[in-house]
Amino acid sequence: MNRAALLGLYHADRVLAWENGRSMTYGRFLSDVEALADQLPEKPTVINLADDRYRFLVGFAAALVRGQTTLLPPSRAPGALAQIAREYGNSYCLVDGTQHVDPLPSYQIPKGTGSPTDTAKVPQIPIDHPAIVAFTSGSTGSPHPHFKTWGSLVAVARSTGVRLGIKTSDQMTVVATVPHQHMYGLEASIMLPMQHGMAFHTGRPLFPEDVRSALAEVPSPRMLVTTPLHIRACVTTRSRLPPVECIVSATAPLASSLAKEAETLFQTRVYEVYGFTEAGSLATRRTVAEDTWQVLDGITLHQESAGCSLRAPYFREPVFFPDLVSLQGPHRFVLHGRGTDLVNIGGHRGSLRDLSQKLNEIEGVQDGVFFLPDETGTAVTRLIAFVVAPDKAAEHIVSALRTVIDPVFLPRPLYLVPHLPRNETGKLTREALRELLHGLQNKERHGT
Amino acid sequence: MSDVSPLEAEVAKLIVRTLTLKLDPAQIQPEEPLFGDGLGLDSIDALELSLAIFQSYGHQIRSDDPDIVATFASLRSLCQSIEKHRMK
Repeated sequence: MNRAALLGLYHADRVLAWENGRSMTYGRFLSDVEALADQLPEKPTVINLADDRYRFLVGFAAALVRGQTTLLPPSRAPGALAQIAREYGNSYCLVDGTQHVDPLPSYQIPKGTGSPTDTAKVPQIPIDHPAIVAFTSGSTGSPHPHFKTWGSLVAVARSTGVRLGIKTSDQMTVVATVPHQHMYGLEASIMLPMQHGMAFHTGRPLFPEDVRSALAEVPSPRMLVTTPLHIRACVTTRSRLPPVECIVSATAPLASSLAKEAETLFQTRVYEVYGFTEAGSLATRRTVAEDTWQVLDGITLHQESAGCSLRAPYFREPVFFPDLVSLQGPHRFVLHGRGTDLVNIGGHRGSLRDLSQKLNEIEGVQDGVFFLPDETGTAVTRLIAFVVAPDKAAEHIVSALRTVIDPVFLPRPLYLVPHLPRNETGKLTREALRELLHGLQNKERHGT
Repeated sequence: MSDVSPLEAEVAKLIVRTLTLKLDPAQIQPEEPLFGDGLGLDSIDALELSLAIFQSYGHQIRSDDPDIVATFASLRSLCQSIEKHRMK
């Protein structure tokens, strides 16, 4: 059976993680993984809820060593976790605090008591082992699972590193503002470092001052893995970041004017990574220099009657783009816009159809729909909901929604309306909803 | 409302405008939690709000400030923090 090493490169003394200025080496990491792997229960799947990036990785690696699959729940909302727990009832949770998903048993990931062993062997993981399951919103209302093999995660990490020009001798350190439980965060802040002998900061800075101090806590060269929102925050506050070799942005389109400001202000290179759950990271661009996206090595683009598809040795079958793209040969494409159903709010992906379905399941809701308003380019665009619910208050519906969807998708605002502008076939067009919104906003402005 | 200070009224407006909440700023109770069960704001809101506060008052919020939890606890505590650190 073909295997790929857990680590792209192993020196016991090399630093893997930085926490409050303290370092944890690759040697200690392997002994932590070995110790935890021995204690894990005999179960096929695990939900790893660790907030600390190092402890998450120890749990993830220990699960790999034991041949287990890590589930990445689509959100931390109690309802979403409960649904995964129901569908994967033979799972357990790995935690580093008081997190808990009823009724699954929880196991603590220890704070690292292992002492480094020089003789440690780097585990070899079968490339076709399903390392993780990421979820997208399914049309039936239950999350649709996407199995990612260990081989595909390794391939994406390697080709991304090559594209970004990372050399293992650089010993670059990643500081990430994104959660490691989502695909982009897992790929860029966990897999990328593991496969290139890099290090990472264990925290997840939020405010520009947090980003600055996290970067200052780690040695140069540094890489910042983040989103357009965080970049805008750092640029707006004229943050005095320590030297950063490169900034990697994903989850939403980055305006090239903002990329340019960031490059000038922080004396760095800004790259965007494009991907989606079904394919993982698949293309990059240097935002200030190019409009087109270049796919990672090993991926090819194909125009098919059903749309544009991607092929790679690690895809079982061609994967189709959820967004609107046009191809420029087999390796480059232009991204024209989001698909009509999938939305990405602050790095969280959701399906409007799925969100609307959850809305319609709420007691007292007769009809309802989620709507993504046109982007204004100033702030993160939030979803809006139009709801027909004669006997309910908007607050009541929002609190019911809070238990079943990720909070980032909660409508801002939720409008109660007498009826939805469905056409004769019962369809709600984007145009009709846009008009409805304009009408409601005009009314608000005139205070009637 | 007599128990709301001028700064609190101003920041309440800033919150509603920045986060496009469908709410009359006067409805934000000064002691009500802003995050979680109160207004139900999340970390993206915290970041957006911190930017608006920086632009209006020159105060930069940071997570390792020992008062961070208190800062975002309510409109009142947020205003106390702004009052203490404002540069404009």
